[in-house]
Amino acid sequence: MSQRQSYAVGTGLFIVLGFAALGYLATQTTSVANTSRGPSYTVEAHFANIGQLKERAPVKVAGVRIGQVQSIVLDPGKETADVKLAIDKRYDKIPDDSVATIFTSGLLGDQYVGIQYGSSAKTMADGGTLALTRPAQQLEEMLGKFFGAGGAADNLSGSYTVKARFTNVGALSIGAPVKMAGVAIGSVQSVKADPVKLDAEVMLAIDKKYSQIPDDSAAAVFTSGLIGTQYVAIQPGGSPDMLKNGDELVLTQSALQLEDLIGKFLVNGSPSDKKPADNSGSTTPPAGKH
Amino acid sequence: MSAQPARDNIVIRSLSQIGDCALFLLQILAAVPRSLKHVRETVRQLWFVGAMSLIIIMVCGLFVGMVLGLQLYDVLSIFGGTSATGTVVAIAIYRELGPVVTALLFAGRAGTSVTAEIGLMRATDQIAAMEMMAVDPMAYVVAPRFLAGVIAMPLLCCVFCALGIFGGHLVGVSWLGIDNGTFWSNMTATVDLVKDVINGVLWKSVAFGVVVSLIAVFQGYTTPPTSEGVAYATTRTVVASSIAILALDFVLTAFLM
Repeated sequence: MSQRQSYAVGTGLFIVLGFAALGYLATQTTSVANTSRGPSYTVEAHFANIGQLKERAPVKVAGVRIGQVQSIVLDPGKETADVKLAIDKRYDKIPDDSVATIFTSGLLGDQYVGIQYGSSAKTMADGGTLALTRPAQQLEEMLGKFFGAGGAADNLSGSYTVKARFTNVGALSIGAPVKMAGVAIGSVQSVKADPVKLDAEVMLAIDKKYSQIPDDSAAAVFTSGLIGTQYVAIQPGGSPDMLKNGDELVLTQSALQLEDLIGKFLVNGSPSDKKPADNSGSTTPPAGKH
Repeated sequence: MSAQPARDNIVIRSLSQIGDCALFLLQILAAVPRSLKHVRETVRQLWFVGAMSLIIIMVCGLFVGMVLGLQLYDVLSIFGGTSATGTVVAIAIYRELGPVVTALLFAGRAGTSVTAEIGLMRATDQIAAMEMMAVDPMAYVVAPRFLAGVIAMPLLCCVFCALGIFGGHLVGVSWLGIDNGTFWSNMTATVDLVKDVINGVLWKSVAFGVVVSLIAVFQGYTTPPTSEGVAYATTRTVVASSIAILALDFVLTAFLM
């Protein structure tokens, strides 16, 4: 009998352990852990674009989670999304002129609703509406302004060579496409460091078809997509003279440090923070400023 | 269930094995209500196939989680995404590694011993003796072992997954220095209760439990009553279980996705 009891106890322990593990997995490691259990009140916000915002996404103030997105529906008859936010009762001192913005956590992370406090003395009540909202910033649109589209270089039948000097070519490699208006018109023939001028000398082989490129065009090293490869983009100038074999492109723009660039957008995402970004001013060519 | 004539070709033999196996499953299910009066036997088997397998399951789960943490940290650091290590460890373990590795270990640890035990009962005429004494071997021998396997598998799988997460946390957070809060918050933000834990861990492991236990008791019950036959049946339990687990895993993933 004692033998039976020992295995019965062991079996019971095993079953309890198994269910404890299941409970742990279900409640501590899944999105269930994020659902707020305390009493909450509901606030509405209307967004022009919610991007990838999902239900149960967090609502944050100063980075601290104060609630979650309860529901997302399209406003009947309008082209705006009606987002209901369930906010914890403990945080009931939100000024009614606060601004709700859809942010992205990190570069590729999920989106969440950030609330920036206003200065009104009145606070949000249950069922109230946050009138001031800012839609999701479409990373693609932002980046599209900087980077052209991807694509492979044409098969080069005959080409002519032009030179361009960059202070920094980033990760530009031999064979990388040369593009104009996003279309591949040639490829990078060689990338060499100049031992005297201490910069990078890049030889570009451009297809003979494209012989009508003004000789004051600018060359820039861009990145295709977020983590794509780098390529040389030619931005046509206005000169009546055309580029010839062996010419040098004088106006060049070196590879942008993607980290710097994106850091400025995502960290200082709101317009109120724009000033420091403008002052440091490396996202725009310095020529425009001075 | 009798030995097939040796002249049948392999397709016919495989088909008849599968058919026999399916019929055997029906017999077991029919015997389950009768086996309820032998509930103590089921508990003893649960202790044997479940509680006794805990150590190997826990150790393996820990190491699987640790190696996942190492590998993922290495790859994700290329993209600067090491904060996603917790998420990927959890999803990989819940959806695939947890149920599959647990089932493979379970087949090796518990399935073989069930086959060998029932096979030896058959070889030493204990099953025939039970029938003589009007003790139903299906209800007293087969059904408790089958039930115990079906109950034990999901529980073992949950323990495996929990230890796997712990292993990933140990390597990722304690050794490689991922932020503890990031590790958990990324995980809880992405891992879904229904899609990952219920569909991944629970349904898969129950299905694997049924398949492994069925193959184990079937191979044991239909073994040729010789010592060579028992050895052969034990081997076949592992081989057939492994193939069935991996094939069924693909089918289940396709359906549960």
